[in-house]
Amino acid sequence: MNDFNIILFLCSWGPHPAYQTLQDRAADIPSEIKMVRIPCAGRISKALLFKPFEMGADGVALVGCPAGSCRYGAGTTNANANEEDTRGILHLLGLGSQRLRLANFMPEDADGLLSFLRDFASEIIRMGKTPVSPPAKDKALSDLAEAARKAIAQNNVYSCQDCGKCSSSCPLTLAGKPFSPRALAASIISGSLSEPTVQKDVWACLTCGLCSERCPSSVNFPQFIREIRSILKGTGSGSAEVHGGFLQSLMRTMASPGVQTRHWDWITHEVRTDPAAKTLFFGGCAPYFDIFFGRHLGVKTTRMITDSIKLLNFFDITPALLPDERCCGHDLLWSGDRENFLALARLNQEAFGSSGAEEIIVSCPECYRTLSVDYPAHGIDIPLKITLLHDLIEREVDKGAVAFTPHGGVVTFLDPCRMRYLPKGRELPRKLIARLKPSAFKEMKEGGASSDCCGNCAWIGCDAFSKALQVKRIAQAKASGADLLVTGCPKCQIHMKCAMEDPFLGPDLTMEVEDLTALIVRSIHWE
Amino acid sequence: MTQLIKETGRYEIILTGFGGQGIVLAGKILGQAAAIGDNRESTLVQSYGPEARGGACSAQVIISGKAIHYPPVRHPDILACMSQAGFDKYIEQLTAEGTLIIDQDLVQPHGFDREHFSIPSTRMAEELGRKMMANIIMLGFLIAVTNAVSPGSTRNAVSSSVPRGTAEKNIAAFNKGYDYGLAVLKGRQKKATGRAGAEK
Repeated sequence: MNDFNIILFLCSWGPHPAYQTLQDRAADIPSEIKMVRIPCAGRISKALLFKPFEMGADGVALVGCPAGSCRYGAGTTNANANEEDTRGILHLLGLGSQRLRLANFMPEDADGLLSFLRDFASEIIRMGKTPVSPPAKDKALSDLAEAARKAIAQNNVYSCQDCGKCSSSCPLTLAGKPFSPRALAASIISGSLSEPTVQKDVWACLTCGLCSERCPSSVNFPQFIREIRSILKGTGSGSAEVHGGFLQSLMRTMASPGVQTRHWDWITHEVRTDPAAKTLFFGGCAPYFDIFFGRHLGVKTTRMITDSIKLLNFFDITPALLPDERCCGHDLLWSGDRENFLALARLNQEAFGSSGAEEIIVSCPECYRTLSVDYPAHGIDIPLKITLLHDLIEREVDKGAVAFTPHGGVVTFLDPCRMRYLPKGRELPRKLIARLKPSAFKEMKEGGASSDCCGNCAWIGCDAFSKALQVKRIAQAKASGADLLVTGCPKCQIHMKCAMEDPFLGPDLTMEVEDLTALIVRSIHWE
Repeated sequence: MTQLIKETGRYEIILTGFGGQGIVLAGKILGQAAAIGDNRESTLVQSYGPEARGGACSAQVIISGKAIHYPPVRHPDILACMSQAGFDKYIEQLTAEGTLIIDQDLVQPHGFDREHFSIPSTRMAEELGRKMMANIIMLGFLIAVTNAVSPGSTRNAVSSSVPRGTAEKNIAAFNKGYDYGLAVLKGRQKKATGRAGAEK
């Protein structure tokens, strides 16, 4: 027995009979191959195609029916699309796109299937073992009640006065969801954490922090929820991951020390970088988002990264990039996977430390918060200065001699939750927008200090109410009279675009959405 | 771009503006920075009197590596104007290659068609909370665009010349003008190389 693992997803209709013929013939199917029989290759989503890699598989073969022979019609097309996207992700992750292969066989083509399997197995063996080490299994928690009690005490939850200010500010409650922070806190205090309805609410919270801001007893509700999530994760309670858990899989894979990503393979020569620079630019997960959501929403969040580097170049900053940059771990932390978050954080700490840089510039508000607040809070100190790109732009522009071509449109701003909490997080983007000289800046009905969120955080718990929340946000943006919705976070952009895909409301919701950096980069110039 | 690094290192400078803008103080700081900080020779001739009550006043500064025998300035290499009257009075005396610096909100450089430098120093001072620091902002700007004295010496001279307790604010004002000057130079350089925007 060898130690290679190749997963074969095999469609029941076309190729499975061929596989059975091989078994009847006692053909020499490579022993590395573990077959999983599936109803249709088109139903193996990107998340399912990727999951084996997260668990340490060395290769995955998706075998379906030739075009035109799919029992369900669209299976072959879907399988092609899913394979192509997942290969793109595997490439960026540095695992190698060749580790995933799609093939189609008819029932009578047993020999073709056999030679495909042999060829694939030998290629995987040639490529060697996967650098991914399977993530550690969640440790079973012995005493749920005791862990919950600790979390309650640490986050001051006992001081809840049951006044209800949290419910009246909670975006989920306002979207009509039967959800209340104080009721949730009360249930957990009364020891009902093991109840499925309570657990569901724990995963539903957006952790936006509006309730905490309003709370007269200053209960840190988001942090409390984060704590409870990591406790629940330990009990194996499903964490309501959306998109099939693909994004969490991706992040956990990056927590493997052996993985050497090719994070910047897509970057164009329009931007100038310098590996020896003392300033490091941290890009974030946008390249993965663009592949994963590209087909559905046509998002281009990598533009935010290129625009950010262009702006640095504009101010004569030629940043270094970490060639094997990893995820910051924000979403793992907020979806309860503290262990892998810490693994990622330590790997990043090491990478930042050995980069020789003195400053990290971050354009994503989530990455910024994670590096500057959550790493130190977990005992992981980054010895570099961490700067939010928007801060740097404001500082440089304020020096003068820089002008902007007036924008001319009417714009509004959607506050990203992870920017809003910063001391200057509400002012800063508005100040920058004012510099762009739009013909008018309109605040949304629930904008500024009481800004609602984009409807989802950390890729968990998306449901009909999240969608209702997003629809409400866009409706508010339109009602403000603005013709352009400006955001500052790639996820806001993805979620707003998703809401606009609504088959019924979509046409009424269509609105231009742009990242702030895109607006700046297009109009900034030296005077 | 006009960068005034002359071989002799000799600068004849006129600062001019209304009485009360701190023109003479700026001139004093400039000369002090050159003499005490940069170990060079400097002289200051002040012109005020009746002019100080809102009329044009000026500070004439000469900075040199050698002894200065005649302190008054007849043909300045650098003319910094913070009032229209000052500009009108001295512009004819500026040398052919001389650098003109103006407060863009207070001075219209009529009849002057060469490249020059402008800064909204009074507006910037208002934004910083003290209109009277416009002179220090102007000084920072002048030093950034002309390199007449080193910024470090000037910062020291600013700290020791301004009223007690205002050093920090004045240094911030100096830096504001200095950064603006550097940004202007950078902008001109970028424009000259055809890379004025971020997209190209």
